[in-house]
Amino acid sequence: MRKLLLLLLLAIFVFPVLFLFLKSITFSWRYPDVLPTAFSMRAWEALASEPQLLPAVGMTLFIGAVVVVLNLLLGIPAALALSWVDFRGKVAVETIFFLPILVPVLAIAMGLHITMIRLGIADHPAGVILIHLLPTLPYTIRVLRGGFDRLDPAWMQLGETLGAGVFRRIATIAVPIMAPSLRSAAVLTFVISLSQYVLTAIIGGGRVTTLPLLYYPFFNSADQAVIAAFSVLFAVLPLLFLFVWETVSSAAGRLLRP
Amino acid sequence: MKRWSLLPAVLLLGACGNSESGTSAEALEELSWEEITAEAEGSEVRMYMWGGDEGVNAYMDDVIAPAVEEEYGIDFERIPMDAPEFLSRLMTEREAGSTDGSADILWINGENFRNAKENDLLYGSFADMLPNMEEHVADAPFVENDMGIDVDGMEVPWGNVQYAFQFRGEDNPPETMEELLAWAEENPGAFTYPDVQNDTGNGFVRHVIHYVAGDPETVSEFDEAWIEENGGDVWDVLRTLAPSLWREGETYPNSLEQQDQMFADGEVQATLGFNEYRAQSLIDQGVFPEETETVGLSSGSISSTHYVSMPFNTGNPEAALVVINHLLSPEAQIEKLNPERWGEGHILDPETLSEEQREQVEAYVGEEIVPAEDALPELDARYVDWIQENWEEEVVQP
Repeated sequence: MRKLLLLLLLAIFVFPVLFLFLKSITFSWRYPDVLPTAFSMRAWEALASEPQLLPAVGMTLFIGAVVVVLNLLLGIPAALALSWVDFRGKVAVETIFFLPILVPVLAIAMGLHITMIRLGIADHPAGVILIHLLPTLPYTIRVLRGGFDRLDPAWMQLGETLGAGVFRRIATIAVPIMAPSLRSAAVLTFVISLSQYVLTAIIGGGRVTTLPLLYYPFFNSADQAVIAAFSVLFAVLPLLFLFVWETVSSAAGRLLRP
Repeated sequence: MKRWSLLPAVLLLGACGNSESGTSAEALEELSWEEITAEAEGSEVRMYMWGGDEGVNAYMDDVIAPAVEEEYGIDFERIPMDAPEFLSRLMTEREAGSTDGSADILWINGENFRNAKENDLLYGSFADMLPNMEEHVADAPFVENDMGIDVDGMEVPWGNVQYAFQFRGEDNPPETMEELLAWAEENPGAFTYPDVQNDTGNGFVRHVIHYVAGDPETVSEFDEAWIEENGGDVWDVLRTLAPSLWREGETYPNSLEQQDQMFADGEVQATLGFNEYRAQSLIDQGVFPEETETVGLSSGSISSTHYVSMPFNTGNPEAALVVINHLLSPEAQIEKLNPERWGEGHILDPETLSEEQREQVEAYVGEEIVPAEDALPELDARYVDWIQENWEEEVVQP
């Protein structure tokens, strides 16, 4: 049963990426050929010859990482308050936190663009990072709130009565219970930030070149091999992020646990 | 309060000063070309242009950028962005009074040019300042008129392409509009054209307008009375054609790339579009089959011009002028013909070229697909609007 499930998961999630990879290294693979007839690295060469590619990947990773950090810094206190504290107008606050997802972000982006020009952060990574908070923070707060709901404040009090200090209580009670929520929030944030095109284009003005800015225009061409090569690269970045996250958090876990 | 402490830091990061705006068009006119070139040296020039074709990108990155760097010491950067997006950005920048824009050159034409011109988003009249404009660019109607819009020197032609049709392994491809319509009827499901919201699909309907009009003179200007009288005939032709199209004309490809992919997969037997040389690079890339045959209709093929312009808030107008002037030079225009990279028509006056340059042109272009006498003028942009407004109702759901 478990094997079957695993196979199904592989078929749904891994096979399409492999197919894309195959598509990117074939030459003239068309219907009705079932198997590719010729191979060519042309699409990857086209990618490699794009002078803006490496800086764009670097910029994408940098923006994604900063957006994740800001999301956690802003999201943890907000989610904690929503989960643990009862206050007047809580529903209203919750709705406001969720609003950026309900209102089309593009409508807000135009107005924010003017403000950012006046502040001098349009066409700059700082502006792009701020605008990426808009479609990510609501999800982070939601996900983390679910995590805090599972973490009963009584457990923290229990730790306190047993004589554990604040730092130790956080490290040994809160973080292990929150770990899955933190990971979900971080990965979700990273993937959303990674796939922003219009917001980055409007606020970044093309001076902040992220991967989608190079990649999306190719959807306007019939050249599927290049699109496939870009897509493979695109699919690798979240995996890379997950790998780094896991490495860092397990190292941190070893350090924190006494 | 801790969660707010990072925001000001991020804001500060971006608070780099705005430099003063560039020289105005009036002031520039006082300068000689030598002074402009001297002023341009060492500047950075950015150009907004659609980035979805590796051939076009390679031409800009491998030919233009190194050339202006070497000749004028200008650092050229291509910014991939579509016209509607950069126009909406420019609109916001105009509203915010931003004087130091993100780009110095725009790739633009037709409807987008009109929008930009009407909303005061362009730099001004600069065509007369360019030496190559005077020396080498053909003295053609498209210099003054972009789809019925007066150019007023606010943009200069960069490339000229013809509308052409690609057929798959057809020994006797249709060569006139009449034959094409008959061919479509004989081969049900083999032909279609993209939705007219798309420029390529719209271009096909513009050919039908020319076909109904017979004489290009009749539709050389936007004529409401003519539309009133003959618009019905245009829709009649398309309605008669519809049942023999792909999926009986109940649906149309959303975009040219969709039709190109259907053509590549053999789902339809024909595709179409501006740039008569576009099939070659697609064949070389293995997208289109070897037996692809390109035909320009001898009953007339619309020729379309695209232009470069400058936004109102360019920070380096001198350097932008120097780069634009280089784009119009015979060397750059001839290299643009090379099908290994871009492969599209030039806007030069052949008379002004040297013998050697003319041979180079011939070597790249090879056999002419659309002879000059078959070229039809592009219709007024208001015809484009008329097609977009009525096609769905008249043809798709009659």
